[in-house]
Amino acid sequence: MTRLSPGALRILALLLVLVLVAAFFATQIDNYLNARLFNRISSSVAIVALIATGQTLVILTRNIDLSLGSVVGFVAYATGAIVSAAPEIHPVLLALAALAIGAGFGLLNGLLVAYAGIPSIITTLAAMAIYRSALVEFSGAQSITTEDLPQWLVDFPNTQLFTLAGVQFRAAFVAAVVIVILVHLALLRLRPARALYAVGSNPEAAEMAGIDARRTVLAAFVAAGALAGLAGLFFLARFGNITVVAGLGFELKSIAAAVLGGVSINGGSGSVIGALIGAVLVDLIENSLVRWELVSEFWREAVLGFLILSAVSADALLMRRLTRLRIRREKAAPAPTPKEATS
Amino acid sequence: MAVPVLALRDVSKSFGATQALSGMTLELFPGEVHAVVGENGAGKSTMIKIMTGVHEPTSGTVEVDGQPVTLSGPRGARTRGISAIYQEPMVFPDLDVAENIFISATDLGLVQRKGLLREKASQLIARIGMGLDPDRVASGLTLAEQQAVEIARALSQDVRVLIMDEPTASLSAHEAGELRRIAKGLAAEGVAVVYISHRLEEIFDIAHRVTVIRDGRHISTRPIAEVTPDGMIAEMVGREVGNYFRKDESHATPEVLLSVRGLSQEDVYEGVSFDIHRGEVLCMAGLIGARRTDVALSLFGIHPATGGTIHWKGQEVRIASPREAMALGLAYVSEDRRKLGLAMPLSIRSNVTLATLGKVLTRWGLLREGRERAVTQGYRERLNIRMADADTPVGKLSGGNQQKVMLAKWLETNPALLIFDEPTRGIDVGAKAEVHDLIRQFVRAGGAALVISSDLPEVLALGDRILVMREGRQMGIVPHEDASQEAIMRLATGQERAAA
Repeated sequence: MTRLSPGALRILALLLVLVLVAAFFATQIDNYLNARLFNRISSSVAIVALIATGQTLVILTRNIDLSLGSVVGFVAYATGAIVSAAPEIHPVLLALAALAIGAGFGLLNGLLVAYAGIPSIITTLAAMAIYRSALVEFSGAQSITTEDLPQWLVDFPNTQLFTLAGVQFRAAFVAAVVIVILVHLALLRLRPARALYAVGSNPEAAEMAGIDARRTVLAAFVAAGALAGLAGLFFLARFGNITVVAGLGFELKSIAAAVLGGVSINGGSGSVIGALIGAVLVDLIENSLVRWELVSEFWREAVLGFLILSAVSADALLMRRLTRLRIRREKAAPAPTPKEATS
Repeated sequence: MAVPVLALRDVSKSFGATQALSGMTLELFPGEVHAVVGENGAGKSTMIKIMTGVHEPTSGTVEVDGQPVTLSGPRGARTRGISAIYQEPMVFPDLDVAENIFISATDLGLVQRKGLLREKASQLIARIGMGLDPDRVASGLTLAEQQAVEIARALSQDVRVLIMDEPTASLSAHEAGELRRIAKGLAAEGVAVVYISHRLEEIFDIAHRVTVIRDGRHISTRPIAEVTPDGMIAEMVGREVGNYFRKDESHATPEVLLSVRGLSQEDVYEGVSFDIHRGEVLCMAGLIGARRTDVALSLFGIHPATGGTIHWKGQEVRIASPREAMALGLAYVSEDRRKLGLAMPLSIRSNVTLATLGKVLTRWGLLREGRERAVTQGYRERLNIRMADADTPVGKLSGGNQQKVMLAKWLETNPALLIFDEPTRGIDVGAKAEVHDLIRQFVRAGGAALVISSDLPEVLALGDRILVMREGRQMGIVPHEDASQEAIMRLATGQERAAA
């Protein structure tokens, strides 16, 4: 079988779109394709990709998490507070703290959605506001500044790991990509992770097949929270200055990245690699629009929104076409010939 | 005598005031194909749900290997080797065949080994004698293939009881034959197979024993050799035709209101031809899967027909939307009150005027509340709707009164032809008689009615003529004088076909 799976096809299509978008802007903006563009996008993607990965896990189960942006902000502030109080803390310990705080928020969301049966859009809408207020209360509206942070943390996002064809690959970006790939492999290869797809694909059938749908949904929310927590730490490292609006809007950006990356909002299909490429796409477009003189700054958001709409409708149309084609092909093909029972 | 692998002992189940099962007893032995037959609503689904742990019995016990057990959900039933497959297969469209089969397997380790999975899947697929690529994505499978996947999933976990609930209802004859072959093969391996079907010929092909249930009660269990089709139908229908159901004389006039010839919808139904006269009640009888509702949906323009002709008052018409159907003078009272019929949270009066909002609006498009109340009050008296006041949400009414509100909504459109889909499903006997009277009043006043019903006494009580369908085909039209429950069941189960 050399036939490409629909998932792989989708990734290829996304990469193609990415190249096309970049090529388009290269014709519009002078001196566009350079190392600076890559650096700018890669440092931003390092954060968004993690959140989009978490969001993808949740969307796969037919849910949504609107609180991730607030979790990012809270964890960014909390880890900042920890590290300024105890500058000698081991980096791994700090990362674990970020994961744990995020997972705690995810656990809260997941319990409410999976076990109390409150729809995720309501639960996490409320959680988004509550976690944000918790940050305001916790921080006493004080900001964390770069001076409060140890040097290793501030250096982390800009540490150059290796250079490829004149392009620098920095630590935060590489770490994020490695994590996305790990999650991708886990989704693909770990049997319990396949339950995420099953639950989102056909919840009733999952129940009938004996899958614990509640636990699966809970696990998705916890993992999403943990990933958002880690993104919070990356956010702290990148920006250094953390105020109460940290991470605002990231929940929507992560949904946009996931949806652009081909994750079905109805659950059950999509990949985190797709979400990563989606995140790159969103950032590329955002970054490029800033430099594109044709579009006034007031229209940037609208252009982004329009692109999301077109991507999703193109996807829906394409998938409908493919399904119809497949059905037709199957009708044309002879019915599967039954073999004699071997036992 | 061997111990039954699964047994129901004196099991009853009630939902609120509805008694779905009373004193049901059933014993399943390894290696048998046990057919369960009964009319729609006889309690088969409830019985399956008790056997698979979806419902808990209100009283009575479920026994596995002679020991009383409590099945905690489908998962609990599966661990005891009890699985079910349904008419609509439960597959995961986004996963491939092998993953679908082993999605809930617990003995394959944490890491998914594609090769191992594929190999094990191929073995299971071979065991049921199907040719199916384990790498195919389930969304592209035919219904029959999806069912094969479900059977393989059941086999992956050491199945001891396999319940097949109308597995062949949507399959072609060839596919159905394949499925029966699989079921027989599994029984030969020692699995107890419960086989539920409306196709009597299948039952005689496959079953070792047959249990007839009716009105939630066990009627008989016999070896297949002692059963005849007619005897089985008589037992399924069984009950005395009550006094609630009285046929009055026909009010049919010579004027043909609706004339349908060779109506068809691709892959759904075909060759439906009938006339409805002013003043007539035409009933459509048939079992689940007969596609009667699909015909009604075509007539009402929801799923327009793809072939055949429709004449309305002598003019050929095409009905492409409900709006067009309503403009002609058709009304469709859906069987699914919740989904297609009523806006449950809205008040009674809002529901009554929902289809005719224009009538209660002022010139400026504002709602005339007094007018709406007056209209509702009119129907309340005419239809005897029992309600506290017109502002009560419809969802709070009983089933019978909801049905009347829905009827009021459509009567307000002043239709010439009322299509009534299962008008008395789930409502009590008293309300049934009232609904029947309302239908009779409607046709006496010069309307016509097309009534779809799975309730045979109702069909006999209402229909001036009875059109019987089976699996998307018209089996015949029986005039009231010649109709009996047995005659209709013979047509509906395909035992015979009337010269149409």
